[in-house]
Amino acid sequence: MKTEERPKELKSDSLFVNLGPQHPSTHGVLRVGLTIEGELITKAVPDIGYLHRGTEKLAEVRGYHHCVVLTDRWDYVSAMPNNLVFCLAAEKLMGLKIPPRANYLRVLMCELNRIASHLLFFGTYGIDIGAFTPFLYAFREREMVLDLFEMCCGARLTYNYIRLGGVMADVSEEWTAKTKEFLGYFKPRLDEYDTLLSFNPIFLARTKEVGKISPQEAVNWALSGPNLRGSGILYDVRKSDPYSSYEEFDFQVPLGKEGSCWDRYFCRILEMRESLRICEQALKALPPGETMATGVAKIPKPAPGEAYAHVEGSRGDLGIYLVSDGQASPYRIHVRAPSFMNLAILEKILVGNKVSDVIAILGSIDIVLGEVDR
Amino acid sequence: MTEATPTPPAPKPSPAPAAAKPAPAPKIAMPTPVLNHSAGKLLTTTRYWPTELWANPWASPNYRRGALMLAAIIGGVLLTGAAVGELSRWGDKIYALIGAFVASQGWPQNTAEGAWILLKALIVLHVILINGLWAIWWERKISAHIQSRVGPTYSGGFHGWAQTIFDGIKLLLKEDITPDAADKWVHALAPGIVVAPVVVAFAPVSFGTQLSAANIDIGVLYVFAFAGISVIGIVMAGWASGNKYSLLGGLRAAAQIVSYELPRAFSVVPVLMLAGSLNLEAIALAQAGYWHGLVPRWFLFYPVVGQIAFLIFLIASVAETNRTPFDIPEAESELVSGFHTEYSGMKWSIFFLAEYGYVLLASFLLATFFLGGGAPPLAQLGFIPSWIWMLAKALLMMFIFLWTRWTFPRLRADQLMDFNWKFLLPWSFANIALAGAYLLL
Amino acid sequence: MIGYFKDVFSGAWAITQGLLVTLRYLFKPSVTVHYPDEKLVPFEKFRGVLLFDPETCISCNLCVKACPSNCIALENATNPETKKKIAKVDWYSIDFGKCNFCRLCEESCPTKPKSVWHALDYELVFNKRDEMVRCWKAGFPIIGKYFDRKEKAFKDPEGQVPIHSVPPRHLG
Repeated sequence: MKTEERPKELKSDSLFVNLGPQHPSTHGVLRVGLTIEGELITKAVPDIGYLHRGTEKLAEVRGYHHCVVLTDRWDYVSAMPNNLVFCLAAEKLMGLKIPPRANYLRVLMCELNRIASHLLFFGTYGIDIGAFTPFLYAFREREMVLDLFEMCCGARLTYNYIRLGGVMADVSEEWTAKTKEFLGYFKPRLDEYDTLLSFNPIFLARTKEVGKISPQEAVNWALSGPNLRGSGILYDVRKSDPYSSYEEFDFQVPLGKEGSCWDRYFCRILEMRESLRICEQALKALPPGETMATGVAKIPKPAPGEAYAHVEGSRGDLGIYLVSDGQASPYRIHVRAPSFMNLAILEKILVGNKVSDVIAILGSIDIVLGEVDR
Repeated sequence: MTEATPTPPAPKPSPAPAAAKPAPAPKIAMPTPVLNHSAGKLLTTTRYWPTELWANPWASPNYRRGALMLAAIIGGVLLTGAAVGELSRWGDKIYALIGAFVASQGWPQNTAEGAWILLKALIVLHVILINGLWAIWWERKISAHIQSRVGPTYSGGFHGWAQTIFDGIKLLLKEDITPDAADKWVHALAPGIVVAPVVVAFAPVSFGTQLSAANIDIGVLYVFAFAGISVIGIVMAGWASGNKYSLLGGLRAAAQIVSYELPRAFSVVPVLMLAGSLNLEAIALAQAGYWHGLVPRWFLFYPVVGQIAFLIFLIASVAETNRTPFDIPEAESELVSGFHTEYSGMKWSIFFLAEYGYVLLASFLLATFFLGGGAPPLAQLGFIPSWIWMLAKALLMMFIFLWTRWTFPRLRADQLMDFNWKFLLPWSFANIALAGAYLLL
Repeated sequence: MIGYFKDVFSGAWAITQGLLVTLRYLFKPSVTVHYPDEKLVPFEKFRGVLLFDPETCISCNLCVKACPSNCIALENATNPETKKKIAKVDWYSIDFGKCNFCRLCEESCPTKPKSVWHALDYELVFNKRDEMVRCWKAGFPIIGKYFDRKEKAFKDPEGQVPIHSVPPRHLG
């Protein structure tokens, strides 16, 4: 926000408050300029760009294999779908055929990563609302998922695991055993989360009836992911445009009823349960075979053309538009970052709420600033 | 590709980098990877997965040690309380000694009285200061274990018992920053105004049967009156900081604390009716005896009336001390700590001292009003001195304070008001009526 | 009226259950590691600090091309008599200030055993900027040295100690 936009003459009863960029609840470096009267918000302007690293531009001077490393840095709490979406787009251009085992591993990793990402949401949302303990519980479980990732690909956040033509490495027997152990451990924990936070009367009071988004609004503001589904609209890329053999899995898409903060929150909790189901199925039916397609060039130079691929990332419809001019690096890439799209609606739904609700709504939208600013 | 790399520093051609002909590389021993372990023990096998750990907790020596520690701490605190309580037996002797000394010097008799009061005030002051030291450590340990962590472990050697002491030293030595926009005088005065009433309010609190600094007949009123003053300090802190978040926090605190005074006071009225006195020691004594020789006649066990009064008083006390779920004046995630955002060093820690002082005050009041003060839960346990029972009950109440803080989310400011005016207050009124009916029956 | 009491009791029950969850964890063992006293050894594939072996390197430049952030640089050794390049490395450097820890260099390395590979060390800390650029030459240890620009000399990186209880290179 430019300085001119600030109210020049503050009325005696309104106050301009900078929420961020250094604030415990902005989940990174978002700044929201709030005009408040007492505790009531009259105007809210989200201000982004503090974490801009220009990855879209950087990709134009890097090879296709190198771009996968860049994608890790968009949504750093769930980097697997980022890897996947770039690989899908590039594979479309190159016409690669992915072996089934690699496809299953991609699904497995993306779902595990969705669990990790939603756990982070669960924990930080608890902190936003004032409960500190769920945060530590969520991190305890998330640590196990990250251990699994460390075991199969060597990194805990920036995986670079899904590569052009397949995945980086096959998983071991030990890994599958450990994953099963985790899945068995995690189910009862989800029930505990429900008792601890989801159905706590205080939590319900804070999040139900707050920050409602009608289905019409949700579509108009191009929301996606749990934020859209919380408003009761059935749109999930895994169902509507299946990729990476998602059509072979049996899972439900949880929907909210009224689009309040609690609905968005609970959609994510239910999605974790569905992810668990997908993981179990993937582990059970993991086909044998190669994990990397044959004929992936060391320095790929796809034929000139353009491709669009999108996946259901942890935060919504993550898309990538890739243009190739036949050179070793992409001519242009553009990312449809779900966090960025979801953020825009803040301006509308914050108005008329209390200061405490700002935090509740901001948390329920679940943005990652690395993806917003790219 | 290569031009962007910083050229490594002047690689001079080494004098004899290679022989005339690069001989096939000799079979060298494979270099092992490195792991920096200059300090610490490497855990090669354990990944600390909860699945492994929770299968059989008693197998882990750490867990056994922790259980032992818990027992030792509770025992230690109770023993300390007992030791302090034992000292109180000498109270009359010390008073006589002072009187004899004053008489021998030929000073007026008031001197002995004054010295005695000063001595008692000093002892009560220490209760609050030392409580701050150990309660913060206790809170950190409890919260840590609730959250599957361990909390402070290093300072002092034994499970970080000295952590708060070192923290206190650090805070004392820290630079005291007053913001430029602050109202200097008010800013400096606020912590004092918050902490002074809690010290004063401790005067009539009894630490066991017949064990209080001042036996005031209107003890209950006195405590509530002084405990209510601290809100002024909080509003001053919020206003004087010159920070918008602090201002919001201060205003929220004013609304909250003033509102919760009402149900807190009214919830005690049934107790006062049943006990027939405002004197804290008399209230504790009124709960002596047992029903059928088994259930103690504590006000907590009076059917319906006692439980409602207890719950309302507990909830209102949590709200009075600004702790979760009623910590909206501080609200870390919203107001960035609210009224004490702009405080640092000792001024900041004084706020904490006051908070834990209030928690202790509320715990003692709960124990006095509802748990029979220093009375043992079973007549057979009467040989244990009353101050141990008092301390144990107060500790239990304090644990409830800590426990709720680390379990619940925070209410919104308007919901907090709703809860107070539409739920707690009507019920506390209804409870007074119930108590009346109980007395009539 | 009945609904009101029902609400009150169901709320109280939910709150009690929440309290019981936290109480249960109070008596369960904690899952944390006392970090500087106890250190977890990462899994075998962990991508820690990069190591380099100047003896096996054939100076093929594949790792330089594979690196997404241009953090590797190397110079061929030359035969002092013929002034021709030979398949040995003269110097090799990795800028850990830029490194992504993505393992592309290790994967592209054609030698056997790998000349550049990820160790398990996750405690990569630097006291000065110079230390970020790690250099290797013939005769340097696998953890390399850094060039102190003030003192114009190669120095050992501080705080890295080799141990021998961890399995060696994961790939190759």
